[in-house]
Amino acid sequence: MTSARRFLKSHNLQPSDVPIWLLGLAIAALWVMPFVWMISTSFKYPGDVMTVDIEWLPRRVTLQNYIDIFTKYNVWRWTLNSVIVVFSSTFLCVLSGALAGYALARLNFPGKRLLFFLYIASLMVPIEVYAIPMLLGIIKVGWANTYQALILPSIGNVFSVLIFRQFFLNFPRDLEDAARIDGAGHGLIFWKIAMPLARAPLIAATVIIFVLNWNNFLWPLLAVFEDDMKTLPVGIAAFTPLYGTATQLEGYALSMAGVTILCVPSVLIFLILQRYFIQGISSGAIRG
Amino acid sequence: MASATDTRRDLKAPTDWVAYAFVALFTVPFFIFNIAPIFFSAYLSVMKWGIFGPPRFAGLSNYRDALDNDQVRMAFTNILLYGLVIVPGVLVCGLLAALYVHNRWPLSSFARVCFFAPYVVSATVIGLVWVWLLDTQFGLINHYLSYAGIDNIPWLTSTRWSLFGVSITSIWWDMGLAFVLILAALHDIPGELYDAVEVDGASRWQRFWYVTLPMLKPVLSMVVTLQLISTLRIFSQVYVMTSGGPASSSTSVLFEIYTVAIRNQKFGLGAAMSVMLFAVILAVTLLSRRLVREQPR
Repeated sequence: MTSARRFLKSHNLQPSDVPIWLLGLAIAALWVMPFVWMISTSFKYPGDVMTVDIEWLPRRVTLQNYIDIFTKYNVWRWTLNSVIVVFSSTFLCVLSGALAGYALARLNFPGKRLLFFLYIASLMVPIEVYAIPMLLGIIKVGWANTYQALILPSIGNVFSVLIFRQFFLNFPRDLEDAARIDGAGHGLIFWKIAMPLARAPLIAATVIIFVLNWNNFLWPLLAVFEDDMKTLPVGIAAFTPLYGTATQLEGYALSMAGVTILCVPSVLIFLILQRYFIQGISSGAIRG
Repeated sequence: MASATDTRRDLKAPTDWVAYAFVALFTVPFFIFNIAPIFFSAYLSVMKWGIFGPPRFAGLSNYRDALDNDQVRMAFTNILLYGLVIVPGVLVCGLLAALYVHNRWPLSSFARVCFFAPYVVSATVIGLVWVWLLDTQFGLINHYLSYAGIDNIPWLTSTRWSLFGVSITSIWWDMGLAFVLILAALHDIPGELYDAVEVDGASRWQRFWYVTLPMLKPVLSMVVTLQLISTLRIFSQVYVMTSGGPASSSTSVLFEIYTVAIRNQKFGLGAAMSVMLFAVILAVTLLSRRLVREQPR
C-alpha cells in the first residue's frame, strides 16, 4: 500500500486524479486503435473481414494479402520509385538547407534580408496554388513521368533552411572565429567545424523532411501518369474499395496490407527519433 | 516569426562573396520550382491553354467560368464548412491532449506517442483506414455506435454525412501538430505564475482560466491559423476517401482544380481557381489573425 502511495507521489499524481489519469490513458490507447485494426485486418483472410462480429485478433491468420500485394500489383516498383525519390530529395533539401541556413546566420552579403523575406513569404503560398502551372511547365519540357520531375520541386522546402538558420543564430561562434583567425575559409569552416556541431538540427531536419517526402501526395499524383513511375502513396491510394479500381473484389484485407507497408518507414523513424522529431516540429523554426 | 534584425547585414564587416555559393544550391531550385510558378499561375489564369495547341488570351473569362460553375461554388462553400468543423475539432482535441500529457503522470510518454502518431503517416494510410472504419455495414465505428442504439450511419456514401466523415478523419490526422505545439507552449509557462495563484488558493479550474489559457493565447491563435490554411487546401483525404462524392457533397476547391486541370485539361480554368483559392486563404488568414489580435485582453 505504501509503495503504491509512493509511486503516486513520485509522479506527482494525487489519489483524486487517478480516474482522470486512467481515462486519459484509455483515450490515448483508443486514439491508436485504427492502426491496430489496420494491422489486424491485414492478416485476415478476405472472407473473414466483412463480418458482423468484430474480431480484434484474427481467428485465422494469413500472409496471403502481403504476398498478393507484391505479386499481383506493381508494389515493388512503386517502393523502388519512392525510395529513389525520397532519398535524393531529402538529401538535396537538407544539404542545401544547411548551406543556406548557415549563410543566413553567419555570413554577410547584400540581399540577405530580401532572400530571408522571400523564404518566409513563400510559406504563405502553398504548393497547391502553383501545382497546375508547374505541371504544365514540366509537361512542356518533357519531364512528365520522370524522377527529376518528382525530386527537384521538393528541394525548395524552406523548413530545412529555417531550422539550420535558427540553430546557428543561437549557437556560439567562438570555434568558427578561432578557425577563421587561423586562416580557414568559409567552406572549410562550414564542413569541418559547423556541421559536426549541428547534429541536432541535422537529425531533426532529415527526419522531418524524410517523412514529409515519403508521405508527399499531391505532386507525385499530378506529375506521373504511368503506372510504373508512381510512388508508393499514390499507387496504394488506388486500393480503396469504395471508389478505387484495384480491390473491388479483394476488399479491405488487401488495402490494409498495402497501407501497413506504407506506414512502416515513417512510423519506425518517428518511434526511434521521436525526440528530434517532436522538438524539430515544435521549435521556433516552423512558426513562420 | 523570428525577428528580421537577426538577418540584417553588418555594413561595417566585409562582404562574404562566397555566401552566394552557399545559398545557390537551395535558392536556384527554389526560384525555378517555388517562385516562378506562382507568377506563371497568374499569367495562366488569363489564358486558354490546353496540353496541345498555342495559348490564347482569354481575359477574365476563366474567372467568370469558375464563378458561374455550381460545382465550383459548392467547393468553396465546402472548404469553409470543413474549416468550421475541423479547426475547432483540432483545437479542442489538441488542447485537451496537451493538458493531459503535460501533467507528466505515469505513462505520459506513451500517451504522447499515441496522440502524435497519426500525424506522421500519409494521407493514403489515413484515408484507406478510415474508409474501412467508417464502412456503413461492417465498419468499426457503426458497430460500436449500434451498442448506443444508433442506426448505421452512411458516413461516406450519403450527401448528408460525407463531409463529416472526411472531417472526423482529418481531425484525427491533424491533431498531432496542434498537440505538440500546445505542449511545447505549456512547457514554456513559468512555474512562478502558478506559485503566485497557488498562494491565493486558486482552484484547478481558476488556474487554468486565469493563468494557462491567457499564456497559451499566442500558440492557440497560431494553431488556428495553421490549421485553417491546411484545411482550406484539403485535398488528399477527399481524393482517397470519397473522390469528392457522392454528388460533390464532400468536394473541395483543390479537388475541383484537380478535376478541371487533369481530367478536363482546362489549365487556364484550373489556374484561375488556384488564384481564387489563394485569395480566399490569404483573406481568411488575415481575418483570423486580426480577430485574435483585437480581442480585449
